[in-house]
Amino acid sequence: MKPIVIQEQPRLSFSRTVWIAVDGIRYRLFRAAVTVAVIGVAVAFLMNILSESFIKRAVAANTRDRIARSRLVHQWAARLMSPGDAEGLLRELAADAPGAVAEAARFGGLTAAEAETLRATARRAARLLDFLGEINYARRRQLVHAYTGVDALGYLATADGERSFIETLNRTAAIRLPFSREELKALIADWPAARGRLDRILSGRRAAVARLAEARGGRSILEALAGAEGAFGDEIRAAGFAFDAQTAAPEVAAQARRELDTRWIERALDVRVARQMVAQHFDALPGDVTVMQLWRFVASESNAARFLEAMKAAGEGREGLTAERVVELAGFRREASALERAARLTVGVGGGWMGLGERLSWLLLVSMLVCAIGISNAMLMTVTERFREIATLKCLGALDGFIMLMFVLESCMLGVVGGIAGGLLGAVIGMGRMLAAFGGIAGGAMPWGALGAGVAASIGVGVVLAALAAVYPAFRAARLAPMEAMRVE
Amino acid sequence: MIAPAVQPLAAPVAERRVLIRTVGLKKSYVKKGILTEALRGLDVEIYAGEFISVMGPSGSGKSTFFNMIGALDSPSQGRVFIDEVDVAQLTAEELAYLRCQKIGYIFQSYNLIQYMTALENVTTPMAFGGVQPDEARRRGMRILEIVGLKERWFHRPIEMSGGQQQRVAIARSLANNPSVLLCDEPTANLDLHTGQEILDILVRLNKEQRVTIICATHDHRMMNVCDRLMWVRDGRIERIARREDVKIEIGSIGGKRDAAKASKEATP
Repeated sequence: MKPIVIQEQPRLSFSRTVWIAVDGIRYRLFRAAVTVAVIGVAVAFLMNILSESFIKRAVAANTRDRIARSRLVHQWAARLMSPGDAEGLLRELAADAPGAVAEAARFGGLTAAEAETLRATARRAARLLDFLGEINYARRRQLVHAYTGVDALGYLATADGERSFIETLNRTAAIRLPFSREELKALIADWPAARGRLDRILSGRRAAVARLAEARGGRSILEALAGAEGAFGDEIRAAGFAFDAQTAAPEVAAQARRELDTRWIERALDVRVARQMVAQHFDALPGDVTVMQLWRFVASESNAARFLEAMKAAGEGREGLTAERVVELAGFRREASALERAARLTVGVGGGWMGLGERLSWLLLVSMLVCAIGISNAMLMTVTERFREIATLKCLGALDGFIMLMFVLESCMLGVVGGIAGGLLGAVIGMGRMLAAFGGIAGGAMPWGALGAGVAASIGVGVVLAALAAVYPAFRAARLAPMEAMRVE
Repeated sequence: MIAPAVQPLAAPVAERRVLIRTVGLKKSYVKKGILTEALRGLDVEIYAGEFISVMGPSGSGKSTFFNMIGALDSPSQGRVFIDEVDVAQLTAEELAYLRCQKIGYIFQSYNLIQYMTALENVTTPMAFGGVQPDEARRRGMRILEIVGLKERWFHRPIEMSGGQQQRVAIARSLANNPSVLLCDEPTANLDLHTGQEILDILVRLNKEQRVTIICATHDHRMMNVCDRLMWVRDGRIERIARREDVKIEIGSIGGKRDAAKASKEATP
């Protein structure tokens, strides 16, 4: 008979613990499936909202970008029609667009060094104007009286203006300049010279605009720009504008032609035969025909050919406009209206936590809480059910830590499964909904990286949630007295 | 682990080392404001290598006594010494070690882990004790052979009869070669024949391996094979007697009338 020697119980290896937990789950598959479903639904909700918000943001950025690019011809038309004002010029210089500085130097007859100092001043001035635009009215009134825009800078350049500005700054601690006093001083000192140069550039521009007006003769600016690849483009460059023949000119010309053709087709609604044709096709009264119906009508090539013939017969024909071109224009028009729709739908996107908006964040929080309580409840029931088993394991020498770990691990595994299922489900539902709402725009702008990260994050949230929810039930299990094993029902 | 040769029968009684000693053991519960005294001062010495039966009606404190000497519960007053070690002084880890390595538990309702096979059930205490998996499987198979279930090692408890389950439970309790086996009515849920089989295994373990066996029971056949008998009533020891001193007449196994008579004679 060997004597009893008491030692410390060793810890069970982690892999063995995992296997015991897995066996436990396999034995109670149905309950585990229900718990997984609870986690899965919550995670799917999270991932759905996340993915929709990601896709919406991507679509919004994509749409804004494309709309800006499609308005290139309007930007150029505006530039070539009017010289603009000092503030616009200032911002143009500060924005550092390619060629802008050289163009300004040409118009103002400045040397390269002068143009460079002007740009530096313009940057500082733009920052100061931004700052003045952001602070509230009372503060701005204190700082620069009623002056706005470049007039405020002009006021600062006077002795009185500078003194009162600096005094107000010193007096009011709440007003913080976004740059140092030295920079402010430099700006004020540079301003009068810069203002003079800006005026010179503007007068140079005015002359260039006048020269272009002469060059296009009686044509409208759009008609003139339609030939931007040829002689008119050369005119623009000769007048001094930085109008790049390789990049800007073809795009501007194509957009101008498209705009002209589009306008001509839309004006066709004034022609009786065209209107009747569309009305017949849609079985509507000629007076009710809309522009969008007209576009839908000409989207097919046979209709477009009939439409062109009718117009020609009515004496309203247009040279160089073929049926294919009309169909193409209808496509452009459809795309433009899809872009507009997308832009409208994504107006308020990006606010609140992770771009979710406050309401949704709150909803998410509540759903996570409900999920945690559900998991806790399921795990507590499991503990109650496994009462005798836990007590027996403790009789066999299980440490409290092992019991605790076993339950937390079990919950974690359910969390992983639920997280993966829910994450993928939520992402798929979100993508489907966004594809239905935005069509091809969403398909092209799908933020795959963000979505992948979102799925990973959702899985993580599921696991952490499950682990946290299991802590209390696991603690209860670990505290169970081993003598419960002796109890007989 | 198992000595193949049969030990002489008299050996355990001759060796008078005290394995478990309780001193003034008292236990009371307070549940919903009502004080229940389960044990009211219980002093007993259990010798190493002996087979002792504990008898008593339900509610006599038998189970509480079992929990105390099995290091599963702590007494309100008094002390339990297992091989002269005060159980109350042990830390949680040491208690786990004691339960794992030194005491084997056999329950009335077997308490096998339902999702484990017979072999896994047997090797679980070894895993807790830090035995390597290969070694544990080898030893587990040997122990299953002792209880006669070697061929059914891959069966889960649900696929086995009560007697087989109890045999797996015995194998599990033997996993770490314990010094004491605590049996809580091991034959209560079994029919006469399988009950006898379980008894035979216990007797063999006691005689061959000189494992100390403490057995709570209502089964009168147990009296026939044990070294000492102990009656508990109202939280106190009513009587302890050597088997030779108790007149037991059991004609045949399952002799109900005889058994009833024997219990009348055995209880003073």
